[in-house]
Order: sequence, then structure tokens, then C-alpha cells
Amino acid sequence: MARNGKAKVHPYVPEIYEQFKKGEVDRREFLRTATLLGVSATAAYAMVGQVTGESFAPKARAATPKMGGNMRCSMRVQEMTDPATFDWTQKSNQARQIIEYLTVTGTDNVTRPYLAEKWEASDDLKTWTLHLRKGVKWNNGDDFGADDVVHNFERWLDPATGSSNIGLFSGMVENVDTGKKDKDGNAVMSKRMISGAVEKVDEHTVRLNLRSPELAVPENLYNYPTAIVHRKFDEMGGDLSKNPIGTGPFEQVEYRVGEKYVVKKRPGYWGGDVYLDGITYIDHGDDYSALLNALISGQVDMVYEVDITQIDIVEKVPHLVLHEAVTAQTGVARMQMDQKPFDDIRVRQAVQACIDHQKLLDIAYRGRGAVGEDHHVAPIHPEYFALPKMKPDYDKAKKLLADAGHGGGLKLKIDLGSADKWHADAMQVMREQLAPAGIELELNIMPGSSYWEVWDKTPFGFTSWTHRPLGVMVLNLAYRAGVPWNESHYSNPEFESALNDASATLDVAERKKKMEKVQSILQTDAIMVQPLWRAVFSATSKKVAGYATHPTQYHDFRKVGFSA
Amino acid sequence: MLVFLARRLAYMALTMLVLSLIVFLVLEFSPGSIATKVLGPYSSEEQRAIWLEENGYNEPLFVRYFDWLGGFVTGDLGESIKYKVPVNDILWDRLANTGILGLATFLVMIPLSLTLGVLAGMKEGSFQDRSISVVGIVFTSVPEFASAVLLSTIFVFGLGLLPGTSGMTDGFNFVELILPVMVLVLYDFGYVARMTRASMAEVMTTHYIRTAVLKGLPYRVVIMKHALRNALIAPFTVIMLQINWLLSGVIVVEFFFAYKGFGALLLEASLAQDIYVIEACAMVAVFVAVSTQTLADIGYTYLNPRIRFS
Repeated sequence: MARNGKAKVHPYVPEIYEQFKKGEVDRREFLRTATLLGVSATAAYAMVGQVTGESFAPKARAATPKMGGNMRCSMRVQEMTDPATFDWTQKSNQARQIIEYLTVTGTDNVTRPYLAEKWEASDDLKTWTLHLRKGVKWNNGDDFGADDVVHNFERWLDPATGSSNIGLFSGMVENVDTGKKDKDGNAVMSKRMISGAVEKVDEHTVRLNLRSPELAVPENLYNYPTAIVHRKFDEMGGDLSKNPIGTGPFEQVEYRVGEKYVVKKRPGYWGGDVYLDGITYIDHGDDYSALLNALISGQVDMVYEVDITQIDIVEKVPHLVLHEAVTAQTGVARMQMDQKPFDDIRVRQAVQACIDHQKLLDIAYRGRGAVGEDHHVAPIHPEYFALPKMKPDYDKAKKLLADAGHGGGLKLKIDLGSADKWHADAMQVMREQLAPAGIELELNIMPGSSYWEVWDKTPFGFTSWTHRPLGVMVLNLAYRAGVPWNESHYSNPEFESALNDASATLDVAERKKKMEKVQSILQTDAIMVQPLWRAVFSATSKKVAGYATHPTQYHDFRKVGFSA
Repeated sequence: MLVFLARRLAYMALTMLVLSLIVFLVLEFSPGSIATKVLGPYSSEEQRAIWLEENGYNEPLFVRYFDWLGGFVTGDLGESIKYKVPVNDILWDRLANTGILGLATFLVMIPLSLTLGVLAGMKEGSFQDRSISVVGIVFTSVPEFASAVLLSTIFVFGLGLLPGTSGMTDGFNFVELILPVMVLVLYDFGYVARMTRASMAEVMTTHYIRTAVLKGLPYRVVIMKHALRNALIAPFTVIMLQINWLLSGVIVVEFFFAYKGFGALLLEASLAQDIYVIEACAMVAVFVAVSTQTLADIGYTYLNPRIRFS
């Protein structure tokens, strides 16, 4: 069996390999799990090749780029003060060109080494050892090493930083009593890093000590707020845009927020050939048509995103290429189960019973994605269990409404933001689907920023959720009682027990079976209508080579360039 | 004359003061907490309370108003919530960009609309008059977003002659200015031309013009020396109002062509509830409106001797 250098192979790797050979787990899940457990991507693909006979290397990209050229990309240019507090992918894309991550999860869902050249997990998945790459230098001349990584973990897990990473690495964090009381007299709790959760083993080795098992640690290290900053980042002012010190392939040249961000190739980069001489991000505002106009008229070489309504145009322009990525990006029309009328499960189930998910997908998103199933686990998630397809049943909906005392009809109002047009389209379709059962839905469309004021407060709201590689990541974030992002106020001990059981199961086939119960409970409790899983699109000029859209729309341009 | 000027400037200052209070109060009572806007939707109650205290939001309303006004007068416009940089760093560049767009539009539109207006008004009811009036009305009736799409379709996608956006990324580029200027000129020239035409037609029916014609002056001299100055009094006010519109009302054109101007900034700030940028933009817009009106009043007295400095 191929090994990741001299590292010890995790005992689950041979087991899942046997499951793969027997067809109990698919190729995608084998590759993902094996690489997360420390097997190199090359070795994992080779193991797949031994079973399927396919080439052991991932498919070669369309063309090898030539050296040189400046790529211009249309994307919002946002503030980029502290990478740990990034809340937009665009910010991370700017920063991604100058600072780097410990791992990188590719468009094939396989996690590969980056600043960490390899890693090992203990048998119980509670201890992770990261072996850092040697010979990497910051662009101020300092050596990159364990001190940098330890400092990053310490600041991520310090509540004063305000980083969402504190939720991502919850196994390294504990709740402590602040000694203060809230207005109801309850103790105010705060989180802090568990002492010894991160330790420097030597100059190029860092160990993470978790209090609970976690398989997704290497994937989490490529989540967009986990880019590694210099160990003296805070001493240097804590502002990346003003002190752009990084290990990345490019260096910052010009930064004008709201206008443009320019980087140029950095000499002596550790990661081998970088094709592009530079990259210029140009801000064309929020109007998708402006982005496309710039691309068509040759003012830029690529755009960050193409709206679903524009894909026909892109396909008709001869010098453009449309790129599509299947994702777990979605939106949920969630109902707060402690607010009237949704505190009656029959009302929620009646709403759900009216929905034709396939039609929602076809009309609101032109069928480009996957059907939602009202449990927030996507078919592309490795642990997804296929439940029976949901179908609209108006007799059932009417009976449920009558039983709940709404036989004469029910008026509902849903809040949603205007930023993504498909949200309003999906809710328009839902309004039509609810009408035959006597439910009158009013759409309260508000500016995006206004919706984020009420997203966790409104009884009925439509909230977008970004792609995450695992379904349980979202379930842990949004559907456990008392967690900050539990916008539906969902609380069901049976669900949480089933989720704990599934999360603690490493065996892929076994975990899938356990997810049946998790998904079924969430679907039956009817706290959301989830219209669809959406594909995302971007477009480039035909001259661009080596680019593929990442499900999270990350821009890794190390091997992107112009065709020869 | 000096008394007149002092009085106009005093009125201007008073108007701005009253409007500043209105702007402050409207934004003060806009929905949502400013702490949430600054710290984001995922911030904790504790973080928000600390932020409000640190930034003086627990002070009485009038104290905060005078603090804000004092800051504004001394050039401290606060920090943008969205961009996390001082408002001064963004606002003036954007205003200058819009000024360039407005000036270019003016340079094309004013000679064009005045010429067409005078030509139409010289012979009321003639074929020339009707043609110019119809063309002017048709173009003015087409909304800016529609003509922007139409012109882009022709010159960007059809002929491939012009760039699709006007971001001026690599510095000032005249070619990128053409489409936004075309849209603005098409939208506005008909309005100014019709005002000029109406004014010209009225002047042409006056006794002194008839006398000038009857005493044998060449027609060109009658128009240029006697009719034109009087005919320009009414359009002058309209033209001054266009300055105000061009500086703060060209949001659609700036948004469509991704032009980094003042209108686009105001729109973005409003959508993001970027309160300090909105306040600064609103006050700049108020200043432009009030000062152009004051200038119009002063200029009017020169053009029309019947109006005295009173």
C-alpha cells in the first residue's frame, strides 16, 4: 500500500479500501477519506486505479499554460483587514494570492498538502500531527514554521478575535463562566481554547489535541478564514492590506477597496512554477450584467460568478467558456418552531406537503443543480442517505391545516433578501404551490443587509447557506439547540442523539446508514422548505488555461495561466 | 450687491443646517442597530454593547448630532462600515469621477440642446421645429437603463467598437466615457432643447423682435444680438438644475457601466446601510443642490436686468 512518506497509515485506511473494493463506498468517498487520513492524493488515486483500472493521476487539465501574462478578473474588491474574520469568499480570494493555507481541497473534493506537507491522525482521531513544509519563506525574508501556525490557532480560538473558526475547531475549545449574569440571571458563558490544544513539537511540527474525534480537520484547514498569517501579524498592526506579508505566489502591488486589487509574481516562491506574471481584480459592482459586459468586450479575462439567467448568453459567445461546479450551496425557507403559527407541527407539515421540489428547481434555477429534500444534507455530501422522494399532496396539506384550525385559509409572510435573484424566484414559485391548499404567502423582499439584521429573528425567512464538504458540518452549526446559527430555533434531543451517533462513526458505510435517521427526523419535523441545491457558474475567456470553478468559488491561481 | 450675496449665503447655510438635522435623524432612526451593521450579523450582544459605549452611542441624541456636525465641518466624515477606510478616502475620488462624467456630458449636451432649441424656436410650427421636438421627446422618454442596454447592444456586442464597462481601472480612458455620456446626453438633451425652444418661440413673438425685423436688420443679427440673450434666461435655470442632477442623479448609468462615481457610491452605501457614507453623500448632494440654486439665482439677475438685487 502506498504511504504518505514515512508516516504511519491510519488503521481505517485499509478498512475503507476493502469497502471500496467491495463497492460498499464509492470512489469519491474513498479518495476523500483516505486523503483526510494522511494518504497522499497521488497514492489514493493509485489505489483507486488498482481497482478501477483508470489512470492513477487526476485528469489532466485542458491545456498547459504558457509563462507570462496578467490575468484580469471581475470580482468585488472588498476590505481585507484580518483573514481570520473574513465573511465573504471574495475577500479570501484577494488574500489567497498572497497568503496560504495548511491544506488545499481541490475541485475533486480531495484534500492535498499545502503549507503542511503531510499530516497524521491518531487512531481515535483526537490527535492530529501536522508536518510543516521546510524552506518556505515569508516575503519579508522570515522563515515559515511552527510558531506561525501556533499563533494562528491561538488567535482563531480567542473570542476577542471574533473568528468563525472558533466554531470550526470546537473540539479544541471549552466553555467557561465569565462570572457575569444576563438579564434573566443566567451565567454568561464564553469560549476559550483548551490549554494544550495546540502544541509546537519542533520548528516544523505542530500537534493538535482535540477533546472529541474529528475527521474533517484537514478540510477545515482550507475553510476560507483559516489562511495562515505571519506570527507577528498582530504586532504589525493586524491589517493584511496595510502589511501584506505572506508566503504566497504573489505580492500585493496596489489595493483600492471597491475598485481594484493588483498582485505580481513573487520571485523565489517555494511552490515551483507560477505561470501568471500578475493578477488584477477589478470591481464592477453588484450588477451581473456589468461583469458580463466587461468579459464580452475583453476588458477582463474572467468573472467571479455568472448568474443563472446569463448562462445562455455565455454559451453563445464564441470566445467564452462557461465553468460549472456542482455544490452544496442552498437556501432554506425555515420556520421558527417556537413562533406562531409554526409552533404547530401540522402547519409546518402542511407547508411542506404543498411543495413540488422538482418544479422549484426547474423554474427557479433552470434545473441546474439538485432537488432539495428539506433536511439540509446534499446528494454530494459523502454521508448522504437517499430517502424516498417527496411529492406534493394537497389533500394531506388541507387536512393538516383543518386539523390545526386553519381550514378557512392561512396567511403567511416570508422575509428574504434581494441580493440573489433566484431567492425571490424560488419563493414566487413556492407562493404558487401553496395557494391551492389555501395558504396565501406574502413575500417581504428587503435589501440583503436588512435581511441579515433579522435572519435569526424572523418567524419565517429565506436564508442562503454556502457549500460545506460535509452535511454534518451544517447540521452541527444550524440545527443543534442553542447554537448561535440555529435560525429555526430547532430543538429535538432525539435528532441530536442521532447526529452525535452518526458524527462519531468513522466507518463510511455505517455512517450513511445512521444518517437515514438524522435526515428523516429533520424532514419529518418540517422546519424548512429547501427548494434546491444550486450549481454555481463562472466564465473565462478561451485564452485562460488551467482554471476550474471550485464549489466554494475559491481562486487558486498557482497553476492557472494563458494558453500557449 | 454685497448684501444680496451675504443674504443668499446665509440662506444657503441655514438650509444646509436644517437638512443636516433631517439627514441625521432619518439615519438615526433607520431600522436595525448600527452596532450590528458594523460588527456583522454574527456579533454577540456583549460585543455590540461594548462597541456602542466606545463609540459614544449611549450619549444623548443632540450631543451626538453636534459631535457628528462638528466632525463634518472639520472634515472628519467617519469610517465606512463596508470598506473599513475613512469616508474621505472614497468620497472625493468618486465625486471627482462623477464631475468628469458630468462635465463631459455638459460639453456635448449644452451646445447641442441650445442649438437645436434655438433652431426649433426660431420658426414655431415649422417642419424643422416639429422634427426637433419629436426627436427630443422620443429620446427623453426612453429611460436610461433602456438606452444603456440598446447602445451597449449596438456598440459593444454588435460592432465591438466600445468597451462594455467604464471602470477606468487603468486611469482615465476617454473611450470608456463615450457610452455613459451618450446615454446621459440622449436622455437629457431633449428636455433642455424644449425649454430653450419654448423660450425662443416666446421671444420671437415680442414687439422688439418684430421691430428689429421690420427695420431691415439681417435675420442672423436679429437672432444672435436681440433674441438669444433673452431666450436663454429660462433655460439657464434648467441648465443649473442639470448640474445638480448630473452630480447626484446618474445612479442608473454609473451602476450599469460600473463607473466609479458618486451616484454608484450612494447606491452601494444605501444597500449596505453604510451609515457614515450615506450621511456624507447626502450632505454633499445637499451642498451641490443648494449652491447650484444659489448660483442660478445670482446668474439670473445678470441675465435679466428686470430682476434687481433685492
